[in-house]
Amino acid sequence: MIVVSSSGNKFEFEIEGDEIVRCNGNEIKDIHLIEEDGFTFVEKEGTKYSLEIQDQSQNKYTVLINNVSYTFSVETPFSYKRRKMLNQQKQASKTVVISAPIPGKIVDILVEENQQVREGDVVIVLEAMKMQNEIASHVSGKVKKISVKKNDTVMKDDVMIEIER
Amino acid sequence: MIKSLLVANRGEIAIRVMRTARRMGIKTFAVRTSKEPSEPYLSEADEVIDFPPSAEDIPEFLDIETIVSIAKQHHIDAIHPGYGFLAENPYFAKRCEEENIIFIGPSPDAIYKMGNKTIAKQLAGKHNIPLLQGSYSSIRSFQEAEAIAEKIGYPVILKAAAGGGGRGMRVVERKEDLERLYKTASKEAEKAFKDASLFIEKYVRNPRHIEFQIVGDRHGNYVHLGERECSIQRKHQKLIEEAPSVALTPELRERMGADAIKVAKAVNYYSLGTVEFLLDSDNNYYFMEMNTRIQVEHPVTEMVTGFDLVELQIRIANGEPLSIRQEQVNIKGWAIECRINAEDVQANFAPSLGVIEKVIFPQGEGIRIDTGIREGTEITPYFDSMIAKLIVYAGNREKAIENALQALRNFNIKGIKTTIPFCKAVLSNTAFREGRFNTSFIESELKELFYREADEELLAAWHAAQTHLKELKEETFRQPDYEKGKNLSPWVLNKRIQAL
Repeated sequence: MIVVSSSGNKFEFEIEGDEIVRCNGNEIKDIHLIEEDGFTFVEKEGTKYSLEIQDQSQNKYTVLINNVSYTFSVETPFSYKRRKMLNQQKQASKTVVISAPIPGKIVDILVEENQQVREGDVVIVLEAMKMQNEIASHVSGKVKKISVKKNDTVMKDDVMIEIER
Repeated sequence: MIKSLLVANRGEIAIRVMRTARRMGIKTFAVRTSKEPSEPYLSEADEVIDFPPSAEDIPEFLDIETIVSIAKQHHIDAIHPGYGFLAENPYFAKRCEEENIIFIGPSPDAIYKMGNKTIAKQLAGKHNIPLLQGSYSSIRSFQEAEAIAEKIGYPVILKAAAGGGGRGMRVVERKEDLERLYKTASKEAEKAFKDASLFIEKYVRNPRHIEFQIVGDRHGNYVHLGERECSIQRKHQKLIEEAPSVALTPELRERMGADAIKVAKAVNYYSLGTVEFLLDSDNNYYFMEMNTRIQVEHPVTEMVTGFDLVELQIRIANGEPLSIRQEQVNIKGWAIECRINAEDVQANFAPSLGVIEKVIFPQGEGIRIDTGIREGTEITPYFDSMIAKLIVYAGNREKAIENALQALRNFNIKGIKTTIPFCKAVLSNTAFREGRFNTSFIESELKELFYREADEELLAAWHAAQTHLKELKEETFRQPDYEKGKNLSPWVLNKRIQAL
């Protein structure tokens, strides 16, 4: 058994030999991959979707299918046990970071360190592709650290602000 | 007579313009920049001119003097600016005139007057075109904006006086937000157009965006080529356009078309132009602005009228009189354009940068692709994110939507994420299909911003499971070589994890 779960769905695949034979109790067959014109397609009953593995680290897979991304964690019975153990040991982090969603330039910082912010409050104005993008905090809490200055250039995923819940 | 043409633009529009020019027997020139040394638009030209190294820190296609001097050096008759960049820069049009280069577009005076939204509104008002209440001149301070907003009532919209394309534009719902949004809008306007001045007007909630394509020659003849509906917008950026519009009756079309021509006449307009209106839910329309260039969405008009708009532009620039009369303009069938942008819909339309590894364009009857990319094209942050336009033409709207959906399914791109899943979501939405939509469609009607095909997630999960299984299998054959050759059994590993 191999369990593949996304944020909303869970797929339990049963395996016989090397083959996946059932999903959530329903028989599945006649799914194959086709390599064509440099694309990988998955085919099922005449329907063909293009797909690729966009990202993988350990048991996390991001699959791009029809240009839509799905992120799954794939668990075998062994990996499930190991993860459960790790989770118990890991302390729940209290700090949430606001990172740059896109590369750009900081044009305005609307908060100061130690200031209380509410979820949805605009904290930074980031200019990218000639647009001024308002970046809002996705949590309520206290601004712990501001790692950028006005006019700084940031790359995607650069940490801009840390907020303590 | 124009015998040679410099296209002061890049990407799909450069290709689009050069194709028509070549067909008309005109020699075409393209400009190569260091940012895109080998893009497809260059192979489309008869001759490629390298942009000279410049000490100026302005983007190449905005560098008026260099572009003019390139044209002069190579004895080129005319310049086509495409859209964006210098297309609506009156000074550029003026410089061309001064150097005896034909600018393919309207007069500098018409560009200036229509480019300045306050002047444009004053002119339209003078000719009795319906207008929204607001400031008839640019406002320069927050206090001024506040006073006007107080008078006309919220919601109001702030717009860059010199702007377009959604930049420097903000809707203000409440008095408390005005100061903050005023600042961001004017900063954005300053950045984008080197002019921080804004104007303010009453905001019509949930209008439709209807625009009329007009054509005028240098001899005072005008026709309109019907409307385009561009209500599917996100942050004032058009994403899907169509022609004609389900919202217009023949009677309304005639009235709006006549008013669009009146606007053009007010500035002795010649060349192609677009007059944009807002249409409210009671079928009242209001003049918004006039765009004095060829537009991104011009192909839908070409599909339903059968005219080549670039050819009309070039002929008018040649001084030829318009060969079409209004009664010869027949709108036939339906056309829809989907803009395919390199954006990640699932990450709030963030730019998706990278290299296009592979691409398959859809093909078939009634399908037109205008694109500037090919395999190996790198999507950089230097230019806007549109990589292709899919235009689908059919006998009626229902069929056009169906064919467009099928074409989107056959449109495969590897390497970047695109707005294809978004376009599919719109085209399969019931309200859109029934013609019940307006500019707030994306926020109010579209529950999911991207379309999921049947069983798509299951098949993706299946693929992840298969890949994982294969890896596990390979791992058991591999000798694990952690820590200087010492093998680590799962038991030891578990112990270590516990000790962390």
